[in-house]
Amino acid sequence: MSVKSTSNKFQEVLSGEKVSLSFTNRLKEQYSVGYVEPSPCKEACPAGVNVKSYVSLIAAGKFHDALKVVRERNPLPGICGRICTHPCESYCSRSEIDEPVAICWLKRFVADYELTHPAEKPKPASKRKEKIAVIGAGPAGLTAAHDLALQGFMVTIFEELSEPGGMLIAGIPSYRMPRDILKVEIDYIRDLGVNIKTNTRIEGKDALKSLLKYFNSVFIAVGAHTGKKLNVPGEDDYEGFLDAVTFLRGINLDKPKKPGNKIIVIGGGNSAIDAARTAIRLECEEVHIVYRRTRKEMPANDAEIEEAENEGVQIHYLASPVKIVGKNGKVTGMECLKMELGEPDESGRRRPVPIKGSEFIVEADVIIPAISQEPDLTFLPADHGLDISRWNTFMSDESTMATNIPGVFAGGDAVTGPNTVIDAIAQGHVAADSIERFLNGEILESQEPTKRKFETEIKVDPITRKKSKRAGMPMTEPSNRGSSFDEVEHGFDEATAITEAQRCLRCGPCDECFTCVTECDKGVAILSSPDNYDDLIFRLPSEFPTQDLQKGNLQGSIKSSNGNISFQMNSVVPQVKENLCRGCGDCVTVCEYDACELVSLGGEVFVSQINPDLCRGCGTCVALCPSSSIMPGRFTQDWLSHKLENVHTDKENIVIFSCNWNGSVANPAEHPELKPGDSNLIFINTMCAGRIEMSFIFNALEKGADRVLITGCKIEDCHFEFGAKQFAKTYKKVEQLAHMLGIESGTIKYEQIPEGNTAKFIEIVNKFVKETR
Amino acid sequence: MHSGLTTKIKATNAYACLDCGKCTSVCPVSRFSGQYSPRNLLTKAVREDFDSLCSDYDLWSCLTCKRCDEVCIANIQYSDLTQAVRTEAKDSGFHGKCSHSGAMELLQTIMTKPDLKQNRLDWVEDDMEIAEEGDVLYFTGCAPYFDVFFTDLDLSILDAAKSSIAILNKLGVKPVLMKDERCCGHDLLWNGDEENFRMLAEHNLEAVEKSGAKTILFSCAECMSSFYDLYPKYGYNVKPELKHMSQFLAEKLETGQLKLKDADKEITYQDPCRLGRHMGIYDEPRQVLSSNADGNYHEMMQNNKGSLCCGVSGWMNCDMTSKGIQRERLKQASDTGADILAVACPKCQIHLTCTMKDDIVKEKHGMDIKDISTITLERLGEL
Repeated sequence: MSVKSTSNKFQEVLSGEKVSLSFTNRLKEQYSVGYVEPSPCKEACPAGVNVKSYVSLIAAGKFHDALKVVRERNPLPGICGRICTHPCESYCSRSEIDEPVAICWLKRFVADYELTHPAEKPKPASKRKEKIAVIGAGPAGLTAAHDLALQGFMVTIFEELSEPGGMLIAGIPSYRMPRDILKVEIDYIRDLGVNIKTNTRIEGKDALKSLLKYFNSVFIAVGAHTGKKLNVPGEDDYEGFLDAVTFLRGINLDKPKKPGNKIIVIGGGNSAIDAARTAIRLECEEVHIVYRRTRKEMPANDAEIEEAENEGVQIHYLASPVKIVGKNGKVTGMECLKMELGEPDESGRRRPVPIKGSEFIVEADVIIPAISQEPDLTFLPADHGLDISRWNTFMSDESTMATNIPGVFAGGDAVTGPNTVIDAIAQGHVAADSIERFLNGEILESQEPTKRKFETEIKVDPITRKKSKRAGMPMTEPSNRGSSFDEVEHGFDEATAITEAQRCLRCGPCDECFTCVTECDKGVAILSSPDNYDDLIFRLPSEFPTQDLQKGNLQGSIKSSNGNISFQMNSVVPQVKENLCRGCGDCVTVCEYDACELVSLGGEVFVSQINPDLCRGCGTCVALCPSSSIMPGRFTQDWLSHKLENVHTDKENIVIFSCNWNGSVANPAEHPELKPGDSNLIFINTMCAGRIEMSFIFNALEKGADRVLITGCKIEDCHFEFGAKQFAKTYKKVEQLAHMLGIESGTIKYEQIPEGNTAKFIEIVNKFVKETR
Repeated sequence: MHSGLTTKIKATNAYACLDCGKCTSVCPVSRFSGQYSPRNLLTKAVREDFDSLCSDYDLWSCLTCKRCDEVCIANIQYSDLTQAVRTEAKDSGFHGKCSHSGAMELLQTIMTKPDLKQNRLDWVEDDMEIAEEGDVLYFTGCAPYFDVFFTDLDLSILDAAKSSIAILNKLGVKPVLMKDERCCGHDLLWNGDEENFRMLAEHNLEAVEKSGAKTILFSCAECMSSFYDLYPKYGYNVKPELKHMSQFLAEKLETGQLKLKDADKEITYQDPCRLGRHMGIYDEPRQVLSSNADGNYHEMMQNNKGSLCCGVSGWMNCDMTSKGIQRERLKQASDTGADILAVACPKCQIHLTCTMKDDIVKEKHGMDIKDISTITLERLGEL
């Protein structure tokens, strides 16, 4: 871990001296720690999804937040949660101990969770006038449209087929890719304002030119939907030949029709397996797969191969087609040759070599080659002017997706040839980013692709970790599947998802759950990014799952290249000082979480105890305790005094107490719309208005504040349900006492702000600043 | 650094300690805290172990109730010793555990501001006759503030003042109520804040002077003790005659100007430490409460010079020990069989009422707690 420091105090931390990272101290000192190398899972993901972050959020039960993290880099979480090739799992550090975390299925879980627990959708940025055309509604096109729509652009997708989804709908059978899930995710993108025109094939002499006339930019994402030929004798001589893409498209978009009785599928990719398993469901008598190499080399997902075998597909490994056998113009079978593995070829896989004289015949009435696909370029006129590769794919810059024609971009399978969904999504992102930059007038320069690293500097020590079993996917028994196209895998339940997510080792010292930024202490925690070392940072140690923070004060150390950094984080749960507690029960009465209870110390002596499992850290009991016996872990008197040290002697000082939930600002410097004028504004954020004591307000006035503004949530909006109610009562007393003391009206003001409304908060602060006493 | 403190300690006679232990044996705090002992603190003071002394939690647990002063055969002024050390501790940055997170202390400190324009007479009702100048001044104290602060306790702390004024009006007296009366400074001084105490004292004495008052009446034993003991001790000349309401009432009953009806309720009385041991006023409250000699008045087990304090002083270290003292005092009160516990200081009223928030205490020892003026007004016969 690289560490940079902005203060001497931090050097002391690095030198091993133990300092408290309690709320107060964090306010006093600015800590800055360099960012740790990204975790291997994130590095492995072509789309750069922050896997560790969403897995740790799932572990903490924050499913909506997790989904939000996924969507930042992947707008098709439900789809990828089902069919992604999940390279993240291949590089998961957990496999050093037992098995990788079931990342893909966790993603599916949060996507499914949203179906039953709808979350708020993001709002697109302010409208932009530029229009963008996307050709093809597959994953690459949808991703680019999603990103561009969020940026406020008007996006139209032209789709030749009757349904959007590209290969997702035309190529992948519904038992693996339920259509309702596909619809939900596409509707999500539609809801952002993307116009999808189906049954619309771009075609004609001036296809590209006329598009460029009406649209400021065009993104070609037509995929690779034309099956390649086998190139064996007899291929063109007999009826009964059907390439896999055409076969699957017919089944998926039209009425399912049994192709024949005995089927041979040729190939070892996911399309081959899809075709074979579909044929099983169409009640074909025999389904064979012929593949040149062994199972180890087969590119299809392991689980898919296994399920195909479970369902009755016969796979002939190390077999290669020699010629097609037919009778009366119809296919009757295929002659194959047995192979053995020789030297590795350019792809690194061992080259299959034929064994002489090992010919054998597999009987069939339909042969389905599933060897490879290429883009259909026929929609463009011959003089389209775009560079085309020797594999019949579009050529675009790897780092920008720009083609040789300015304003025209291309990505997805149309560029790479048949590839994974996640790769198409990754290219969709790049294209969207480039299109935006192009429309902003930036010059797009080709860049060396950054080499992805798959290892962090922080190594996991497998010995210290207990082994745990990876959660299995619940699915329909093969014997019960029959001809059904219903989804076979059922997904995790909440408990399974949390348990599985907790298996994550959280490589590196921080979960990147961003809880600190969004919830903990606004204005204090900002997770720094690699190019922003100067930010203040508050990080959670990997050793402790975030939810443990609720329960007690954490102490520990983080290893760094500069030695161990000791830290202590104080819990949000307050503690009762036993000898001070009078056992009056005020805290028991106020706490609606039942976190406070009176326990007997013998005889009639009772003291309050706070149950950390029930306490949610609002601090209302702390404020209410008459004998000040409840010690808050954070938002302490010391912290208050420290904040109040910021009064200026030559300026009007305004102290603004606010609740962290009512839209109060984390870092006032980031809000130019705040207008302090000539006044010195001192922002003091608490967990809840309920924590604000009467003494806070008078203390502020006594320490030199000229005016005090208190903002909190509306009583019915209070996150803690009773904190706002309690403060409203306290404030009534404050008003009366202030009146009695002759404190001029307008000196102290209390405003209720609807939850989380920063604009309103700033408006109220600005208004208060402007008011004169 | 602590040279001034040594002189002050000497003045309390601390060096004469015989180590007999009488102080600890009578100390209410010792009785309920287990670890507290007046002699511990005194020994540290005598050995000039000031750092340890100033940072000691127990330093702020002393109620300065003078129970130990009363019994000490070496005539050591233990409460003065506590006050002197607290002043030193406060200057060194130490403080006790303020209840209500120091809200009371803040209100008192804010009241030191010279240009304050208080609205502290809002509670005065239309039918009350009061004056801005005159011979008799009623010093209300902080009751109006307490009344707001302790609304949850369901006690009307202003009743004492309202009853006092009603009685005065019945006697044809139109008392002066000062618009800009300030906190008397009692708590601040006992908690070691001499500077702010002086500001409050000066302000109050100036205001009293302006009113032309010849007599000041108090319902609050602490306010009276400030005028009676503390102001003169710090060099201020207090000219008017000072009377606690109990003294005033006793006088009027004696002369027949006031007559009481027969009591229909049993009464017992809580001696405030300030009124009793600090100022020696024991008899007059008893005269008022038992004036008709109809046997309705009952003495608690600990009474007069030996009475048990209300458990908290100066809003400091209000803790489990305080509650122990209060529970015991309420037990003693209820053991007398009385219906009403008469008090002569608002602090006693607040602290003992607060203790009854505990359901068990309330069920076993709960009773009406009323100020002596309120009780008198209720029993007032035809004039």
